Amino acid sequence: MLPAVTRVPLPASLLQRLVRAVPQALTRKIKDLRRDLAVLTGAFAGNHPAPVTVRTRRTPPSSSLVATRHVRVKSVVHDTADALCVELEDPTGAPFSFVPGQFFTVVLPLEGETLRRAYSASSACQSPATVRITVKRVAGGKVSNYIVDSLKEGAFLELLGPSGNFVVAPNPSARRSLVLIAGGSGITPMMSILQSVLPVEPETQITLLYGNRGEDDIIFRNALAELAAGEPRFVLRHVLSNPPDGWNGAAGVLDEATTSRELALLGDLPETTEYYVCGPQPMMDAARAALRSRGVDPEKIHEERFSSPHLRPAAHKLTTSQPLTVRCGARETITTVGPDQTLLEAGLAAGAAMNFSCTLGGCAACKVKVVSGEVAMEEPNCLSSDERNEGFVLACVARANSPVVVEVP
Amino acid sequence: MFDASKLTNLLPLKMRSQTDAYLEALGVFLEIRDPRVLASLAPSGVRGLLLKRGKQGIPTQIKCSHTAYFDWTYPNDHPEMRELYTRAKAGQWDGATYLPWKTDVDPENPNTLILPQSFLGVERLEDYNVRLDDKEKHALTNSVATWMLSQFLHGEQGALFAAAQVTEAVQFFDGKLYGATQVIDEGRHIEVFHRYLDEKLNKLYQVNDNLFVIIDALISDSRWDMKFLGMQIMVEGLALGAFGTLYKLTKEPLLKVLLKMVIQDEARHVHYGVLALRDHINKELDESERREREDWAFEVSLLMRNRFMLYEVYEEWFEGRMPRDKWREFVTNSPGMREFRQVMFSRLVPNLRAIGLMTPRILPHYERVGLMQYFGGDAADKLSGEQLISDLDRAA
Repeated sequence: MLPAVTRVPLPASLLQRLVRAVPQALTRKIKDLRRDLAVLTGAFAGNHPAPVTVRTRRTPPSSSLVATRHVRVKSVVHDTADALCVELEDPTGAPFSFVPGQFFTVVLPLEGETLRRAYSASSACQSPATVRITVKRVAGGKVSNYIVDSLKEGAFLELLGPSGNFVVAPNPSARRSLVLIAGGSGITPMMSILQSVLPVEPETQITLLYGNRGEDDIIFRNALAELAAGEPRFVLRHVLSNPPDGWNGAAGVLDEATTSRELALLGDLPETTEYYVCGPQPMMDAARAALRSRGVDPEKIHEERFSSPHLRPAAHKLTTSQPLTVRCGARETITTVGPDQTLLEAGLAAGAAMNFSCTLGGCAACKVKVVSGEVAMEEPNCLSSDERNEGFVLACVARANSPVVVEVP
Repeated sequence: MFDASKLTNLLPLKMRSQTDAYLEALGVFLEIRDPRVLASLAPSGVRGLLLKRGKQGIPTQIKCSHTAYFDWTYPNDHPEMRELYTRAKAGQWDGATYLPWKTDVDPENPNTLILPQSFLGVERLEDYNVRLDDKEKHALTNSVATWMLSQFLHGEQGALFAAAQVTEAVQFFDGKLYGATQVIDEGRHIEVFHRYLDEKLNKLYQVNDNLFVIIDALISDSRWDMKFLGMQIMVEGLALGAFGTLYKLTKEPLLKVLLKMVIQDEARHVHYGVLALRDHINKELDESERREREDWAFEVSLLMRNRFMLYEVYEEWFEGRMPRDKWREFVTNSPGMREFRQVMFSRLVPNLRAIGLMTPRILPHYERVGLMQYFGGDAADKLSGEQLISDLDRAA
C-alpha cells in the first residue's frame, strides 16, 4: 500500500516572517527610490548634498578600557635607595588623563607569566604629557624589584587604567580641609594629590602625616619639604620609627596610639575634614581605629588598599572547568571558565561586553552581580561590604566553584 | 522689498552648473566604445554621477556577487606571492605609535605648508575674474589638500573591501595569505588618514562622484580579475600617483612620514596585482575576454585622468561665482594636477603593459589621448617601496 500523502503546512511563524519580510524589502526599496528622486529633483532646483562636513576629533583616544596602552619610559630617577620614580610618556603624544589619587596597572610579562601590579600616579594631573609612578622595592616582589633594578629609560611598558575611586579632584573654588595619612610607599597617591590640589585651591588646608622607618626611607623628602616651605596651608609631619640622633620630628610607629597623639596635635579640625589613608595594612587599621575613636564619620575616611599579590592568599586551587553565563542587558553569552581563568578572562574571551580597568581587584570597574552559582574571590579587594551583601563580585579576581550565572550592571 | 533679480541671477548659474554636470556624465558614457565595458560601468555611473549615492548622507549598500574560492590542500602555489607575504609581514607598522601624532599641525604656518599655493596656481583665478586675498588663497589651497586627503580616505575604504573580496576570490593560496596582510594594511591606512583629517584638519569632503563610480563598479563586479585590475592596478596606481605628488610637495612633517609609510605599503599592493594578473590574463583568458579588460582599463584610465576635478571644492568655494566648466579648465591646467597625472600614469602604464593589457591594438587610443609619453618606466614587480620613495625624494 502506498503511504498516504500528507500536506505539511508551513509553520505559522515562518509564514508570518515571509509576509513581514516582503513589505520590509519593499519599504526599503521605496525609501531608496525616494532618496534617489530627492537627489534628482534637488539637482534640477540647483541643489546638491553639502560637499564637506566639519569634524571634531571623533577618533577615540588610544587609552581605553579594553586594551593596554603602550607607553615609553621617559626617565628613571632613584628617590631613595629602594624607590624609583618612573616617568612615562605615550609615543603618540596622547595625554594621561587621571584624577589625583588614581592608579595605573602595569602589565608585565616576566618569567613566562603575565603579571599585573597597581601603581598610583605620583605626579600632578595638570601636566598630563607624562605621568610618574613611584615603585618601591618589596621583599619577594617580582614586578617591583624588576622595575627598581632593571627598568631603563627608553623601555616600553604596557599600562591599564587609570582606575580607582581614592581621589581628590582639584577644584579652584573648593575650600576644604584634608588630612592625608601615609606609610612608606603609600605616599605616592598623596604626592599627586598635594601637587595637584595645593597650587589651584588657595583656600584649602592640607595636613600630611607620613610614617617611615628611618630618614633615608622617606620618599619625596625634598619635594615635600619644598611644598611645605613658606606654605602655611600645608602642614607636614614626619613620623619615624627609627629616628636618627637629633631628629626633631615625631618618633614611633604609626600605630593607633601614635596616630591618635599626632591627630590630637592638629587641634580642632572642621567637621567637614576628609581623611585619606594609604599604607601597609596594620597602619591603615590603626589609622581607622584612631579616627573612629575621635568620632570621625566613616564616610569621611577614604582608604586605598594595595596588597602584594605574592602575599595574597589565593582563592583555593580549582581543578575543573565550570559553565559560565554572562548576561548583559538582553544579551547572554554562554561559555566555560577554566580552572586557571577568572570570570573576566573567560567572559571577555567569549566576547561578552564586560567592563574592566585595573584587573587587580582594585577599582571595581568589572563588578558583576552573581545570579546563581558559587564564586570565590581573591582577598583583599576593593569591594565594599554593601556591594558584597548585594551579591556583587569582582570578575577580575573571581573564580567559579560551580556553574555560574552573572549579570553585568 | 523682495528682490527677484537676485533669485533669477542665482538660479540660472546653479542650473547651468547642473547641466554641465549632466553633460559631463553623458560624455563619460558616450566615450566608451566597447559595449561590454559600457554595460559593466553604466549602472555604477548612474548610481554615482546621477543619483550621487555616495553623498546621500546614509551608508551605501552595494550588492556583491563574487565567488569565494577555497582550497583544502593548502598548496604552495606561487613563490613570488609567498615572498611578498613574508615581506609584508615584516613591513607591518602601527599607525598609532609609529607616527609622531603629537606634531602640532598648523595649516597657517608658512614653514610647514601642507600644500604650496603653486599646486593650484591660484593667481590664475584672476583670469576668470575671481579675486582672492592672500588669506583666502591660503585657505583655498588648504581646502584642496583636505579634499585630496578625504579622497585618499574614501579610496582606502574601497581598497579595504576590495582587498577582502580579492582575498576570498583569488585562486592562489599564497595570494590569500598575502591578501590578509593587505587587508590589515588598508585598515591601517583608513586609521591614519581618518585620524589626520579628524584631529589635525577637522574637515572631511564627501566622496568624489567619479571615485564612487570606480569603487562601485569593481566592488559589484562578480569577476575576481576585474576587481584585481580595478583595485590593485588602477586605483592603487592612482593612489600611488596621488600620494607621491603630495609626498613630494608637502612640508608638513607628520603628513610627510604618514605618506612615506603608506606609499611603501601601496608599492607592495600594486606588485601583487601585477603578479596575479600577469599569468591569468596571458594564459587563462581568451582573446575576447582579454580585449574587454584592455578596453576597461583604458576607459578607467580616462575616467581617472579627466575626472578628478575637485568639484567638491568648487561647490564649497565658487559655485555661483564662476561657471563650472571654467573651474574644470582652471583645474585641468593647474601645475599640481599636471604633475599628478604625470606621476600617476608613469606608474600605471608600465603596469598595464606588464600584465598584457597594452597590446598594439589599444596603443593608438592611448596615443590619441596623449598617454603614450608614459610608456617607459618599470612595472611594480621591478620596483620596491624604498625605490619609489627615493625616486620621489630625488624629484622633490
